[in-house]
Amino acid sequence: MSVEDGAPKRRPLEHRAFVYGGMDHFLAVTEPFLRSGLEAGEAVVAVARRANLSALHDLFGDGAGIEWVDAAGFYRHPVRTLRDYQALVNDFAPRPVCALAEPVWTGWDERQTLEWIRYESLINEVFKESGARALCPYDSETLPPRIVDEARRTHPMVVTDGPPLASDAYVAPAAFGANCDRHRRFTRPDDAEYFAVDDADLHALRSFVAERALLHGLAQRPAQNLVTAVNEVAANAVQHGLPPVGMWIWRDGPELLCEIGDNGLWRPAPDALTGFIPPRSALQRGFGLWTVRLLVDLVELRAGWDGTFVRLHIR
Amino acid sequence: MRWASENLHEAYAERIRTDLDGQAMETPWFAKRPVKDIRPGDHSWLAYSGPEERDSVIGPFVREGLDTNEKVVYVTDAPAELLPGLGARHRVDVEALGRTGQLRIISRRDACLDRRGGFAPGKMLETIGREVDAAFGQGFRAARFTTDYSRLISAPGRSDLAEMLGCEDGVGNAVSPSTMAMAICQIDRRACPPDELAALRDTHEVLVEVNPEFDDGILKISRTFEPNGLRVEGELDAARHQVFAEQLAQVCLARRRVHLDFTDLGFIDLGGLNLLAQQATVLPADEALVLDHLPPDVENVIEMVGWHRLPGLERGRERAFTETEGIA
Repeated sequence: MSVEDGAPKRRPLEHRAFVYGGMDHFLAVTEPFLRSGLEAGEAVVAVARRANLSALHDLFGDGAGIEWVDAAGFYRHPVRTLRDYQALVNDFAPRPVCALAEPVWTGWDERQTLEWIRYESLINEVFKESGARALCPYDSETLPPRIVDEARRTHPMVVTDGPPLASDAYVAPAAFGANCDRHRRFTRPDDAEYFAVDDADLHALRSFVAERALLHGLAQRPAQNLVTAVNEVAANAVQHGLPPVGMWIWRDGPELLCEIGDNGLWRPAPDALTGFIPPRSALQRGFGLWTVRLLVDLVELRAGWDGTFVRLHIR
Repeated sequence: MRWASENLHEAYAERIRTDLDGQAMETPWFAKRPVKDIRPGDHSWLAYSGPEERDSVIGPFVREGLDTNEKVVYVTDAPAELLPGLGARHRVDVEALGRTGQLRIISRRDACLDRRGGFAPGKMLETIGREVDAAFGQGFRAARFTTDYSRLISAPGRSDLAEMLGCEDGVGNAVSPSTMAMAICQIDRRACPPDELAALRDTHEVLVEVNPEFDDGILKISRTFEPNGLRVEGELDAARHQVFAEQLAQVCLARRRVHLDFTDLGFIDLGGLNLLAQQATVLPADEALVLDHLPPDVENVIEMVGWHRLPGLERGRERAFTETEGIA
């Protein structure tokens, strides 16, 4: 630890994928990993699927000083999970965190799977100076090959049998995110309803969205979250964009989609990280968009020659 | 979803059921109104926390009467220039108004005390009846009556509660059917025990409160006095940030802890949360803005982003039922 500049220098993030096959292999690597964290005096957290978690718990027992977390409850919404990991890191600071972090890859559709892959990539950005160590297990026997391939692109180091190796497929988060975004479609069905936003008073817009949300069958809480998110994006368009400002709303299967558009150019243009990095406080730039990402399931930005469009998905 | 635009109208004629002691008593019903909406027939109740709150209600009550050709009857032993709405800064010619009969300041001895200085309810009722009748003859369109019961009820050898209740019933019977008379009965909240205060309150049909500082039908902002702060009702969004920021800055000037009562806040946008955090940064160190009675939807957004991202904001009292409405 350096004391020259008055503050301890934090080591960079260690973010490794661990591609394993079978329980024995899983334990052979994760057990020493957690033990090394305990020995180094780090805050040790194990987030894993239930079977893996209980196998590890049997080895260590209670009172080992490890925080055990069921992955099923922890990985529900990528932006919220990033927030929760960050809260964990901050709560333990200045102790660095040593985390076993096994995401959940079942139960998601293609779109959601992509967001979880992006999440793995974002870890590299959000925690780059946290001093944390994270080992992310990928079960090669049950996961689709694509998921395991992507892990090599989202983790700078990969562990299989021997010592960790640098992944030559690794892509830095901004470039990775841009690639995720490249395949988006911004089509809108012809029957999408349009609501023009004429002035700064968004009361009528909120009532309209609330009504459509309940009509779609959203529960009260997600409906209110959508209202808050739409209001924020629209307020931003009214303040910083150019008229006409308006919102399209339509249903796509279980999803309700709202897209707020204005005629302005968003400059400097948003990049693939915009709104993903948790701000330190509400007073920091980017608080609004980050909160919008928390409130709904998915946010897609398009800053094009024809205007700025923010699409919100919720179900 | 709770849309406060619907609630706002209720705020003017909100009917609150009160069951103070839980007995199967005759349940009183109240309407709650800002002082500007007090009208003939209202026998209303003001249990104030201190002079600031009292003056904020009684001042406008008195001035509005004087400004609109209504008679104002104030039963008090205090000198006129110390009364709410009549002090020097209001530029009221008390003597001239007294000559025309528009302003009647009547001592308690003349209005409601017997020869030995005891409270005489019957005399009070006679006084009210006489003054209202005279107002009609003098061509005033209405008569506003107010007095402060604090000393009657807390003084040594005070009148007993039953007598006070009887008097209040009498006043109610005189005022309620009237098309001319309206009354505000003032009392210092600390002047008697809570159960007596509640019993007195229950003889009134209207709870009077301070006029809102702002009200556009979507957002309503009112001062609160105990605790010191603002009550914010309805929806706070970008179109209303500026007026809210001004009111908030104003109430933060007094060097007292500021509470925001969010009981009936239906919506706050993220800019509104930002604004609260900004105001908190200019408070003295260790001071906080206290958010009382957070509705679940508002609390959900705050918890979504985390309280630590809103430095200087503090969770205050939990939401509660309104049993103590009008007395605490």
